[in-house]
Amino acid sequence: MSEPTTVLDEIAEAPADHYRVLKISDLDGDKLLELSQFMKLSLSKEDMLAVQEIYKEWDREPTDVELEVIAQTWSEHCKHRIFGATIEHELEGEKETVTSLFKTYIYDVSKRIFDTKPGFVLSAFHDNAGFIKLDDELAVCLKAETHNHPSAIEPYAGANTGLGGVIRDILGAGKGAKPIGSLDVFCFGAPDTSMDNIKADDVIHPLGVMRGVVRGVRDYGNRMGIPTVSGAIQFDDSYIYNPLVYCGTAGVIPIKDIDKKVGPGMRVIAVGGRTGRDGLHGATFSSAALDTESHEEDQQAVQIGNPIEEKKAADFVLAARDKGLIEFITDCGAGGFSSACGEMLEECGGTINLDNAPLKEPGLVSWEIFISESQERMVLAVKDDSILELQKLADLYETEMTDLGSADGTGILKVTHHGETVCKLDCSKLHDAPIRQMKSKWELRTEPVEAPILESPGETLKEILSDFAIVSREPIIREYDHEVQGNTVLKPLAGATGDAPQDGAVLRISGSEHLMSMSLSLLPEWGKTDPYAMGAACVDECVRQLVACGSDPDKLAILDNFCMGNPDDERELGALVETVKAIAAGAEAYGAPFVSGKDSFYNYFETDEGPVSIPVTILISGMGIVEKPEHVTGSSLRKDDSVLCVIGSTKSELGGSVFARRKGLTNATVPETEFEGAMATYRKYYEAVKEGLILSAHDVSEGGLAVTLAEAAFSGKAGLDIDLCSLPMDHDASKAAILFGESPSRLVIEVAPENLEKVADLFEGLPFACIGAATPDHGNLRVEWGKETLIDEPIDELKSLWKNGLAQYY
Amino acid sequence: MEERPCAVLLKFPGTNCDAETAHALETVGFVTETVPISALKPETLVGVSLVVLSGGFSYGDYVMAGKLAKLVTEQRIGDTLKEFRDNGGYLLGICNGFQILTQLDLLPEGSLVENSSGRFQCQWVTLENKAPDSPFLSQLPETFEFPIAHAEGRLVTAEPGEAAGYLESGAAALTYTEDVNGSFEQIAGLQDETGRVFGLMPHPERFLRRGDHYDPDWGGDETWGSGYYLFRSLYESVTSSDENE
Repeated sequence: MSEPTTVLDEIAEAPADHYRVLKISDLDGDKLLELSQFMKLSLSKEDMLAVQEIYKEWDREPTDVELEVIAQTWSEHCKHRIFGATIEHELEGEKETVTSLFKTYIYDVSKRIFDTKPGFVLSAFHDNAGFIKLDDELAVCLKAETHNHPSAIEPYAGANTGLGGVIRDILGAGKGAKPIGSLDVFCFGAPDTSMDNIKADDVIHPLGVMRGVVRGVRDYGNRMGIPTVSGAIQFDDSYIYNPLVYCGTAGVIPIKDIDKKVGPGMRVIAVGGRTGRDGLHGATFSSAALDTESHEEDQQAVQIGNPIEEKKAADFVLAARDKGLIEFITDCGAGGFSSACGEMLEECGGTINLDNAPLKEPGLVSWEIFISESQERMVLAVKDDSILELQKLADLYETEMTDLGSADGTGILKVTHHGETVCKLDCSKLHDAPIRQMKSKWELRTEPVEAPILESPGETLKEILSDFAIVSREPIIREYDHEVQGNTVLKPLAGATGDAPQDGAVLRISGSEHLMSMSLSLLPEWGKTDPYAMGAACVDECVRQLVACGSDPDKLAILDNFCMGNPDDERELGALVETVKAIAAGAEAYGAPFVSGKDSFYNYFETDEGPVSIPVTILISGMGIVEKPEHVTGSSLRKDDSVLCVIGSTKSELGGSVFARRKGLTNATVPETEFEGAMATYRKYYEAVKEGLILSAHDVSEGGLAVTLAEAAFSGKAGLDIDLCSLPMDHDASKAAILFGESPSRLVIEVAPENLEKVADLFEGLPFACIGAATPDHGNLRVEWGKETLIDEPIDELKSLWKNGLAQYY
Repeated sequence: MEERPCAVLLKFPGTNCDAETAHALETVGFVTETVPISALKPETLVGVSLVVLSGGFSYGDYVMAGKLAKLVTEQRIGDTLKEFRDNGGYLLGICNGFQILTQLDLLPEGSLVENSSGRFQCQWVTLENKAPDSPFLSQLPETFEFPIAHAEGRLVTAEPGEAAGYLESGAAALTYTEDVNGSFEQIAGLQDETGRVFGLMPHPERFLRRGDHYDPDWGGDETWGSGYYLFRSLYESVTSSDENE
């Protein structure tokens, strides 16, 4: 016999074929940590000591299966321990203690909003996705997730399974919601990044990451028949090592099918793909930082998706739901069966028999079967007498259905394999993971910055329209089927020529008079200087876009998806805390509650020149209700005789703007958002929409007013004669700030001349001005300042720069 | 009482446009039944006027698009679809359904291969109605728009001359007004000699209503999109041939 060589061999009791009992009671902290690292549990020394304590109380030793289950349950990915941590936060020298960012700023804030709008939010935070009421019969939901680490290592497969996973979240929301639309948001290094600027081995060039990720999303979404309708891309050097891939999906469900419950005696069944060694340790892997070795070692945590397997399972689930055969359903995501069954049997308890799990290959040991994250699997709890009918449906849709076990009312999660009990845990005892104690600190480093003299605003506009932050995503959008299901009313590209950008997407919902809108915002560039301003502006932009495309401003819900680098770095965590405070303030002011959210940490990379972290990046995505098809409002100019108005104030703030970045103004003041005034204008705007007074509306965001005007004109309907003298603005605003500043809460609206007076009356007392008109006489964007011509450029030329900016790289 | 004609939609694993296609058919007057391929039997088509193969990715289309769907269909019902056509039945294939009809030899010879762009293309295209007498196109104008969404829609024939022949014979019922995907002779849709079998790459079911158009100021019909008129043409052809029986 050979000598024990690993910590695992040292402490394992008589080796069984498929599981082992591990003697941890006598190990010290360091040894426990070594064990955690060896087993890739991603548990800290404190966590391992807490585990040891739990088993001391139970007076026994854990099995490897149990340790794996605890590691999954306590992983950052599943438990959000940083959002639950106690944080000593310091802002500009002022100290405060934040007990749980999630509870204080997300949950409690949303709960207060729910109370002011009874019956609007029908489910939030506890299910796979949050639901809002669409009409008396139907509800809609939205969920977004990240799949950053897998996409860094294997872009195609990472993004592929990222979308596949969030689609399963929707299928597992309520008793099974129907996925009806997806969004994708990416953060990459610039496509023209020089290889010399990549300071570590085995890192995939941003262009390779982009192409792989887009194809991954394309091949999953298109094959599933779910339109990818909304998206964004940010390019920045800080994402070279840690690209971000957000995937989101919306769904619809009959309200009566939202509530689900497991009861004793129900069968637990699995449906869909088989279980294999692929996707081991995904949840714990995504809760750690990347390095060059990750590219070599962690391949098994990334899988290739099989959308047709998922499509068959989806057809089965929706048919079974409609027949009333599902009592409870959830998807196998991070943590595989262990998370899905754990969640399902959390209160009721029950037994899972791993011998029944259909495997891709023989020889898997117990813990591998239980935590494998093999794709395309759903777990259901059903009544015993539904099994026959369910089996018929599974045969009809050609998906594999397996009886895994049953719920029993004991409150204990029992797992058996080869006739032995390999895991026996009281799940209620596992939720007290040690609360992390953390420190954070933030101080602003802005300085007064002199706005540069604009030599040639027309040339600057061309430069900005060609910037990666602004250019058309058309080559990517066209690779996604954004019209399957036949309900995409407001498409990502629309207007008279079918290729102009829109603020959001609007989907018709079969069986309802109402429609659903989707939109999103992320502004990482702002956050580098002022994370609070970033958070506030993201909520504002998302809300504003939803309202712009015709949503009722009082029927919106939003999602928060955070990504950040190293939470153990006080300044990075400080930026996160400030962002969270801001989105909470925004949500409360707009009455737009959070209904779901997710976070991704450790997006930093050990390069040859030290660690590189991403900036704190918040994606706010949102959904809204559009009452009638006539309210749907696009962003493209529709007439050649209409007038253009601006709603909202333009401030002398250039910080965070594309202009500032291009001109090297790094610490300029980033715009503040004044929520109350903004909400008043959004409500007025909605009144105008309901009265049929708005032809089109485009939000002023990245690139500023000049870019907004150009984009509106890309429909090719008319030229524009604009004079900015009467624009509502700060008296000291520079020309640069007026044309290219990114003050939030502004919209450019198009109104028929005969309606101008009515619209102006409506906005009485609010920042509003008519700034010009569309004209059939020429095809230019002509922007004047009294007698001075600032911009006079052919719209065709501007459009061609904008349209080809990314196309040449994709 | 008026009896509404029945349309059966075949659903393969990966078919994903069946719901909206069924909705379009019902809107113009058909009764529909969606039949998963595992349940398809020769008897399924008794009393049925129209068989529709809707869009999607049957079996993932990882081998040539429509190939596996053809094999499974033949395995399950042999030549029943050909008999169905010979007995006066109508067959419509949209996108992946067009690819499958081509594989099943129900349409003039040709293959739908990868677009010349090498990409999936989701966009609106302008089409020319080359067969105004077709039961599928009789109510459509000379030119109209439909959206496309496919990676493999380039129609090629073994001999390039064959495609030109399709234009002359009238088999090429629908063409793109410009080169969209490299299709020979810009062919977008084919019909067989009977006129009752029709396949097209564009998606008429996605332009059922006016509001489906990308341009809110689209100059067409007040209520319906062009796709409605394809299904409406078909409905009227089916009901008038039912009456003649």
